[in-house]
Parts: sequence; structure tokens; C-alpha cells
Amino acid sequence: MTDRSGPWARLSRWMFVLPAAAYLLLFFGYPVVRNAVMSFQQYSATTFYTGAAPFVGLRNYATVLSSDAFVQALPTTVLFTAGSVLGQFAVGLALALFFRRGFPLGGVLRSLLLLPWLLPLVVSGTTWRWMLDPETGVVNAVLRGLHLSSTGVPWLTGTSQALLSVILVNVWVGVPFATAILYGGLQDIPPSLYEAAKLDGAGPVATFRHLTWPLLRPVARVVLLLGVVYTLKVLDIILVVTGGGPAGATQTLATRAYELSFQQFEFGRGAVLSNVLIGVSFVFALLHLRADRRARAL
Amino acid sequence: MIPPVPRPTRRFANGLAGLAGLAGLMALVTVATGCAAGTGSGSGGGTGQGITSLTVLDYYTDRTEHAQWDAMLSTCGERAGVRVEHTSVPGASLVPKVLQQASARTLPDLLMLDNGDLQQIAQTGALTPLDQYGIDTGGFAEPILTAGSYQGKVYGLAPYVSTIALFYNEDMLAEAGVAVPRTWDELKEAAARLTRPGRYGMAVDANAGFESSWQFLPFLWSNGGDEKQLDTPQAAEALRLWVDLVNSGSMAKSVLNWTQADLHDQFAAGRTAMMINGPWRIPALNQDPGLHWAVAPLPVPRAGQTPVTPLGGEVWTVPRSSSRERQEKAAQVLACLTEPSNMLTLADQHVTVPSRPAVAAEYARRNPSAAVFVEGVANARARTAQLGVRWPKAATGIHTAIQSALTGRQTPEEALRQAQRIATGD
Amino acid sequence: MKRARGRGPLSTVVGIVLLALMLFPVYWMVNASLQPAGSTLRGGWFPLHPDFGGYAVALREQGRNLLTSLLVSLGSVVLGLGLAAPAAHALARFPLRGTRAVLLAVLVTQMVPGIVVADALYDAYAGLGLLDSYLGLVLADSTAGVPFAIIILHAFMRTIPGEIIEAARMDGAGRLRVFRSVVLPLSTNALVTAAVFTFLFSWSDFLFALTLTSTPSVRPITLGIYEYLGAHTDQWNAVMATSVLASLPAALLLVLSQRFVTAGATSGALR
Repeated sequence: MTDRSGPWARLSRWMFVLPAAAYLLLFFGYPVVRNAVMSFQQYSATTFYTGAAPFVGLRNYATVLSSDAFVQALPTTVLFTAGSVLGQFAVGLALALFFRRGFPLGGVLRSLLLLPWLLPLVVSGTTWRWMLDPETGVVNAVLRGLHLSSTGVPWLTGTSQALLSVILVNVWVGVPFATAILYGGLQDIPPSLYEAAKLDGAGPVATFRHLTWPLLRPVARVVLLLGVVYTLKVLDIILVVTGGGPAGATQTLATRAYELSFQQFEFGRGAVLSNVLIGVSFVFALLHLRADRRARAL
Repeated sequence: MIPPVPRPTRRFANGLAGLAGLAGLMALVTVATGCAAGTGSGSGGGTGQGITSLTVLDYYTDRTEHAQWDAMLSTCGERAGVRVEHTSVPGASLVPKVLQQASARTLPDLLMLDNGDLQQIAQTGALTPLDQYGIDTGGFAEPILTAGSYQGKVYGLAPYVSTIALFYNEDMLAEAGVAVPRTWDELKEAAARLTRPGRYGMAVDANAGFESSWQFLPFLWSNGGDEKQLDTPQAAEALRLWVDLVNSGSMAKSVLNWTQADLHDQFAAGRTAMMINGPWRIPALNQDPGLHWAVAPLPVPRAGQTPVTPLGGEVWTVPRSSSRERQEKAAQVLACLTEPSNMLTLADQHVTVPSRPAVAAEYARRNPSAAVFVEGVANARARTAQLGVRWPKAATGIHTAIQSALTGRQTPEEALRQAQRIATGD
Repeated sequence: MKRARGRGPLSTVVGIVLLALMLFPVYWMVNASLQPAGSTLRGGWFPLHPDFGGYAVALREQGRNLLTSLLVSLGSVVLGLGLAAPAAHALARFPLRGTRAVLLAVLVTQMVPGIVVADALYDAYAGLGLLDSYLGLVLADSTAGVPFAIIILHAFMRTIPGEIIEAARMDGAGRLRVFRSVVLPLSTNALVTAAVFTFLFSWSDFLFALTLTSTPSVRPITLGIYEYLGAHTDQWNAVMATSVLASLPAALLLVLSQRFVTAGATSGALR
């Protein structure tokens, strides 16, 4: 279809997009702009009643980005994000490859796999917190029962173990999504290619390396990108499972933003961290688009 | 929740440490606005003469509790000639909600707040001083009046108050031949002797939130420490007591994750012989006939001292609204809630201590098991008494220090130096 | 897939084992929901003496909230598809300038933290009278579904051969007619996929519910559960029973729709 039509037709086409565009502008554009403005203002509890929030230039940025809490949260965020995304991807890919084989009840099992994703995070987080409790949790009970650990692992009370725990829970929450998308990507690879590979005598490892992986790469990149974007925003899991502790060991930029805004009512400073998160996500998105364009150009 | 402000009283006690966070988060979420959207107060009634209803907001979401308050509010409303529209939101989301409402000018006519939050809300200008309504504030215990005041004026009154004390399992103490500990040394020894496989001697709330600051205060204060200056030897001694209890194995390292509600669960399940908690736990503890428990004052550094505990309890306030008449009506209801007879009814229902000493004495006669709390309240101190609106910063410093010291990341002295920096930071 | 037959049963067993591992926390939740009221620390590995008291309480106290969630989620599906389907069609079919920019913008929406959105909405809603309303909640809950549905539907609709549409146009069908009678029927699988995900996003929302409602009249189940957590720490069985009930419709929906859900659309969409 070419654009041979007049202005009326052009307008009618836009009418298809307009409602959605208006919705996105109102429900995303406005909040983002508002958040950006807030990051230059000084907020206090009083602001809520009087509405007075003076502009303070870059002061919020200077205070937040130079604070000890930010310096501590930064590496935690990197570890949490990298661990979660790689974990989700590895497990998701393994499950997707497994389910691709196709077997009785496979479809049902695969859709049930999405169940963890449907539970309210408040509830699954609470359940995990009981399960991981170092004293009474079922995870340590199993480890002790199997003689894998005599004392049990301090899942929630050791500083590095707690970080591992929240990563674990976040991986658990994210695997269903990664599996679903990667499975879809695998389905898109024409079976004839596999037949051909088989005829060429390629083993499973070689098939994966030379056939599956290259063709899956675009989808894999999307899973990784969305993983990063979603993980950076993760808040509820950490708050429920560890509350950011012990001793701040699981405090990420997102939980820190929450703390600033909603515990200390420093909304201006909380907005700074939200902006940092949006900015980092955006950089990843641009990297993705560039890689995507390069891949298409090839 | 990690409510925005320390709210270690009963509601605060909601189960999940982090949940709190979550919740708060949610609720609060919104708050950040600056400008006011609409005008006018709650929906019910009109302005001027024909005020027929008032809106009321609190955090009594528990079904029984909500119903009890509903009845009390209706009775008092009837007397003032208005119908009461009573809404409860989860404890953790109350302050966020209130800030939202302040900003959108949708505050209720009558508002309940945890006493630790009052100053912060009063500071915003959203509340009205109660003296203008001719409410008599005489006869109330001094600490709760302090907690209900901001810049010398009373903004909130509480029908009842509470504090924390030492709960212990009578059977376990008897079996181990341990007397109820009265000093810190006795506490350490008793906790060690009560510890068995699958059971710890002692439990406190050392969770990464305001609840643990609240539980630490009696140790800090009773040792002569002060929330204005956290990096003192007195404070370090108090923190070292907790560290010693954990390091000696008498207290689970999991206290780092436990809230007051978790302590209750541990205690009820026989997994800890002693715990620190408040009187609002008593009804649930009484439901288990096999559990023989009792309450004692918190141990003090040296024999003969009196423990200084933090004051809990909710105050009722009259937010600014569109009409003076609405505020007058709300004030009448508020005055009714704090009448001695109603106070006694409420205290009985909620197992807490009436906030007028004269009524409390009567109450103690009728409820001997609450005697420890009645005494405790007499010596209780309001969290905001010294620091006012800066208390949340100090509370953040305190729970950060507790976590750092208990994980072994820092010594008590180092941890408290950092706490002081947080407390006085910008 | 023909290859499937040979290794069927063994793979099924392995699949069930893997699923059991993944779903163990869900089992734990069900187990807790069947224990008698009181401390969870006394519960065993199996609900040997199942106590349905928690379910009785949950149904009595949370039935209405379940209904609210259902209404809001369905509303969100209708709104989400209503906005996303025409937009996806236009982006896939019409040579509009700025198509790429719109798609990028849709991607960027995925990066905005929920609190930022909820925060702004409270303000706006207070002015518009949308607090504590079904409409307000439906609009807010769709923020997750709309961009996602656009992405999925766009990817799928791009694969519909242009000739089919041209042919319909030749027969004199208008744009709207083509969209309604040709494109939508062809996109059933993608539409179901988008609908399922939109439903689920909305069903599990907690942030907007907590922020934008405060009265019992409009209270989704996630908020009901949250209130339980705050008020009934001695009734974990009821809390967990409510959670189980809350995940039932979602589980049912998943199983029923699984033959429509084209994961292929999902992945292709995101490319």
C-alpha cells in the first residue's frame, strides 16, 4: 500500500494509533516527566500539605550520588541484576530446550510452569522467607537431612548468602517468563534445518552451537534485555524476603529509591535514583537496538 | 512494613518485615506530589449547619478490632448527632495515605495516627491544635501528651497506650530452674541456660526496620544512653548485650529477620523461651491453653534500676477541613473517645493501658496480668520527645547499627558512630 | 512433531519432576493453607489432617475481593486489546512516519518503575474523581498490558500477507471492515496470547490497588491478602487459602488457553 490517498485517508489511519498513543503518553509520559522535574526539587513531609517544593538545581543529584548508601548499593545492584538475569536465562534456556522435544502432557506442564509468575509477589515472597529461614525453614531442613550441611546455610542472616537468596527467589520468579519466550524462539527455527543437521551427522552439542544458538540469538538478546530492565526495577521481592538487610547487604538502587521516597519522604532524592534506573535501562535498550541493526545488516 | 515513620506499636507489628516495605511502598506511593488538587474535605455532609456525617480513618483492619471501634465511633457519633463513615487501611500504608490525602485535600474528619508519627504529620500543617475546641487535656499521662504535641500544642489524644516487656514461658523456666531475669547479666545467664537444641533462650526484634529501633530503645535508655547522641559507651554497652546474646548462641541469628509478629510465632511454637513484645499479643497467646506464659519488666543493667521503655499507642487527631463546623463535630467525637468510661471499655477490648493514670489504676485492679504494662507505661518515654520530627533519622541510624553489629560487619562502637552520622546527616 | 513419540513417557516423568521442583513453593503455600489456624511453625511436611477452616474464612471474607479482581482484570483485557489491536494493525500495515519511534517508545515504557507511575496517577486521579473506582483501576492496571499487547500483536500482524488485505480492499471493504473482518480473525492466537498476559498482569497487580483505592468497595484480592498479612498474623492458613484461591482462576486460564497461546508470537514479537 502506498500513500496515494488524500489527507482524509491519512487521518483515518492515524485514528488507529491515536487512542493507544494518547494512553501511553498519559500513563507513561506524564509520570516520567513529572519524576524528572521532581528530581530537581526539595521535598519534605510539609510539601504534601503546602505544596512548596523549591527548586534546588543539581543538589539532589550531588547528595544522592555521593552518599555511602549509593556506593554500597551500586555493586549490590550489579551483582543482583547480573546473577538474576544469567540465572533466569540459563534455567529458562535449559527448560525451553527440554520442552521443545515434545512429549505427552508437555503443553500442560509448560503452561503450569507459568504458575509462579501468577502468584502475588507478597505471597510467594513470604513463602520463600519461611522456606529459607535458617532455623525453621524447609530448605535447611532438607540440607541437614541429606547431610549436605550440618549447621544449615544462613540464607537470610549472612550478608553474602542473603544476596544469593534474593537472587535465587528472583530467578524463580523470572524463569517462567524466560522459558516461555525462549521456547517460542526455538519453535520458530524450521524443523527442516534440524533434519539437515542430522543428515550431516551433527551431534547434539554441535547442533546447538552451530544451528540453534545462532538462530536463537535475537530472541536470547531480548530475554536478556528485558531481564535487565525488569530486574533493575525489582522491589517487592527484596522488601519481602530480606527487607534490604542484613546490614544493607541486599539494598539495591530500587529499594534505596523506595526508602528515600517512602520512608524518609525525600521524594526529590528518590526521584534521582528512579531517573538513574530509567537511564541505565535506556542505555541497555539502545545497545540492544544497535546490535539488532547490525545483525539485520549482515 | 517499613513504614515511613517508626510505628512499632501494635499495628506495626504486621507480619512481614519486608512486606511492610512493600506495602508502604505501595501506598505511599503516591505521595509525592506537591500541589493540591482539589479542595474540600471528606464527602459526607455539607458545610454549615447540616452536617450529618463524618469520615474517620484508622489502621484497625483486624475484623474484630474494626468492629469494636466501629461500635465505639458510632456511639460517640450519635451523641454528636452525626453518622460515622469508618475506613481502615493497613498499618503500613496509613502515613503514606495520609500524606497523599493531605496533598489532594481529601483528609478525613477524624484521623488516627501512631503517636510516633504525629509530629511529622502535624509539621505539615494538616492537623489542627485541639485547644481551640475546648477539649480538656488534664488528667492524661505526661508522656502521651508529649507524644501528641507539636511545638507546645496538643494535636492528638490517645484513649489508651502501651509499651513492651519481657514475655517468658513459665514451664521452660521452671524446668531449667531459672528465675525470671531482672538484670542484663541475669538475662544472659538465663538465656544461655534455657537454650536447647531446637530452642533459643531469648528473642528480640532486630529486623532491618523501625521495629527493631523501638525494641532497642529500652536497652539504650535504661543504660543512660540517649537517641540524641548514639556514639556513646552507654549505647555501645546496650548494643553489645544483643551482640553477646547472638554470639553466645542464646539468641538466633535469625533475629536479624524477625519482626514482633515473628517473635510471637517463635514463642508460641516453643522455639524461644523468652521474647520482647507488647500487650496486644496477649489475646492471641491466651488462645493456646497449653502455653503457660507470664510477663515481667524488661531487665535493666544493674539490679534495682527501673526500666525506661518506649511509649506505644495511637492518638486521634482533627485534620484541617473545609469548615470549622466539621472540625467541631469531629472534636466532639474525639473528646467522647477519651472519656474515662469509654477509655476503660477500649482498653479492655484491646488489652492496652488507659492513658489517664487514674483510669489505668482501676484497670490494673481488674486485669492483674496487665499490671506490668501499667507500670511500664508510667515510666515510658515518647520516641519523639527529644528529637521531634528528626526521630525517624535516628531510628534509621539505630536499626542500621543493630544490623551491622549483629552480622559482625562492624563492632558496636563503629556501628554506632555510623548511626550517629545517619541520625545527624542531611 | 513426529520425533516426540519415541521418548515420550520418560520425558514426561522428567518434566513432572522438574515442574515439581519449580512449583515446590506453591505446594508449600497449599500445605500451609491446609494447616489449622495458629503458628505456621507447627505445620508438617504434609497436611495429614487437612483443615479447611482457612478456606471457609477466605471465601467468607474475600469472596467479594476475588470478584473485584475478576472484573478489573477482564476490564483491563477489553481496554488493553481495544487500544492495542488497532494500533498494532496500523503500525504493521500503514506506512506511517514515526513507526519506529513509536515502537521504541513502547519498549521504553517497560523501563519505568511502577512507583513513578502510581505516584503520578494518585494526583491526577484525585482531581478527576477516579480514586476508589473500577474505571480508575482498570486504566492503571492496563499500563503493563497495553505496551506488551502492542508488541505481540504488531509482530504477528506483520506476518499477515499483504495480498490478503489488498484483495479485501479490492472488494471494496473499508479500512475498518478489513481490520474487523480480515485481520482480527486471522490474529486469534496472538489476540488470545495478549489477552492472557494482560489478564495476568492485572490480576497480580498490588501497587496500583494499594495506591489508588482505600475503601472496601473496590478492593482487589492482592490487597485483601495484604490486609490479612497485616491484621491476622495468627491466621496464616486463611492468608494462604486466599492466595490459593487467588491463583486458581489464573491457573485455570493458563491451562485452558495453552493451546491458543502461541509462544512463538511472544518471542517473535520481541525481536
